[in-house]
Amino acid sequence: MIEISKVNLELGEKVILKDISLSINKGEIAIILGPSGAGKSSILKIILGLWQPDSGKVYVDGTNITGMSEAEILPIRSKMGIVFQANALFDSLNVEDNVSYFLKEHSKLNSDKIKEKVAEILSFVNLQGTEKICIDQLSGGMKKRVAIARALSFDPDIILYDEPTTGLDPINSKSILDLIKRVSNRGATSIVVTHILNDAISIGDTLSVINEGKVVQTGTVHDMLNSGNQFVKDFFYEVYQDAALLKK
Amino acid sequence: MNNIAHSFKVKIYGLQEYSLMLVDIFKGLSKFWRTWSDAVNEMYWIGARAFLPVLLGGIFVGIILALETGHQLDHFGAKTLVGRTVSLGMIRELGPVITGLLLAARTGAKNASELGAMQISEQIDALRAFGTSPVEKLVIPRTIAAVVMFLPLTAIADMSGILSGMIVTKLSLNVDTSFFWHSALSALLMKDIFVGFIKPFFFAFFISTISCYYGFSTRGGTVALGKTVINAVVVSSLIVLVLDFIFTKVVWELL
Repeated sequence: MIEISKVNLELGEKVILKDISLSINKGEIAIILGPSGAGKSSILKIILGLWQPDSGKVYVDGTNITGMSEAEILPIRSKMGIVFQANALFDSLNVEDNVSYFLKEHSKLNSDKIKEKVAEILSFVNLQGTEKICIDQLSGGMKKRVAIARALSFDPDIILYDEPTTGLDPINSKSILDLIKRVSNRGATSIVVTHILNDAISIGDTLSVINEGKVVQTGTVHDMLNSGNQFVKDFFYEVYQDAALLKK
Repeated sequence: MNNIAHSFKVKIYGLQEYSLMLVDIFKGLSKFWRTWSDAVNEMYWIGARAFLPVLLGGIFVGIILALETGHQLDHFGAKTLVGRTVSLGMIRELGPVITGLLLAARTGAKNASELGAMQISEQIDALRAFGTSPVEKLVIPRTIAAVVMFLPLTAIADMSGILSGMIVTKLSLNVDTSFFWHSALSALLMKDIFVGFIKPFFFAFFISTISCYYGFSTRGGTVALGKTVINAVVVSSLIVLVLDFIFTKVVWELL
């Protein structure tokens, strides 16, 4: 379980997060939804301990990670995998070396076992046989799958996705969303940051709508559709429009 | 006024961040063996691939030094002393400085652009997320490679400068090579060689760490990356000149 309590963050003179509180239960797909620049990705970086908040606390499985040093936070990070918005694949390495990076650095598995594990994960993300391909030879959708495979390589309990379908065509987007659901079905807690409403509705168990660094509303899709908050209504206007069209 | 205060604050913050990175480098040195293969790879790029520019730089500086000083000394009938000025000039000052400036441009640009691109594409965050210290993985191998390779490169610049100076002295000033060598070697003292060969270690350390720091501090897109590379090369080059002044003025007077 992840709990964010009254977190504030400023970068330079810009306020990024204002008094953010969120609670994410084990095994669920939690969506953090909001417009670009709302502070969504910052929440992921704070959960992972890459950024420290100015105030507030972040608990991962009951452990307060705020103020921890890089060495102290390492065991916590080893429970979390992340898929970055721009994938952040190591472009000097091939697919196999990217996926096996964590295992080579931190596990005691021998090279044969690591190869076996990489093949198994690549097969799970439908990229079997791509081990020796260089990163710059992959399409956008394939890069996203490799990024997901890398995040899954050490069987983390929590997976963070930063805008997983941004920049992908509808078919690739759908396959990535299906993949996120399949990963979730393996028991992992998933936190997905997105600004794409359809993605949020199609895979999210709970949604938290963020605007200008504040949580506007948290709840299920049903709660959002019945929200009285004007920002939520504006954000979900496409759904109302589609419903109106369907009625016609 | 506010802009000046803000700019000053940013510079002090940058200095603090750079100092913290240096602390991380010294802390991480004990784990260097984990990234030795990266260091060997960097040695190839920083050292072997820089051989030709350093060789050419040394040759032309040696030629210019011999011609300029030779013609001046000729007015006083002392052109046989050209060897002395060329050897002292190359070993004490110009060899290390030319190598430092060439490598500030080459290595500085390489480090700043590579690490800056990694920062922009979130690869640095990815390293941290997967439990790897970016300083241990990226800065320490580059710094060790630079420190190891700068010394032989400086020796190449020194030797090519002295040899080209000798050839041009023979061809242009008709000074016999034995006179040139006698003058060159008799003027050289142990402390000249010591000062000339201690400089590259410091140049290498600061060029590498400063350019890596600029790479890490890149924020934004391609325009920011361009600025990062410019800043890294300019500051590294200035540091080479400042350190050279410190060595010449302070260390030299102490010895």
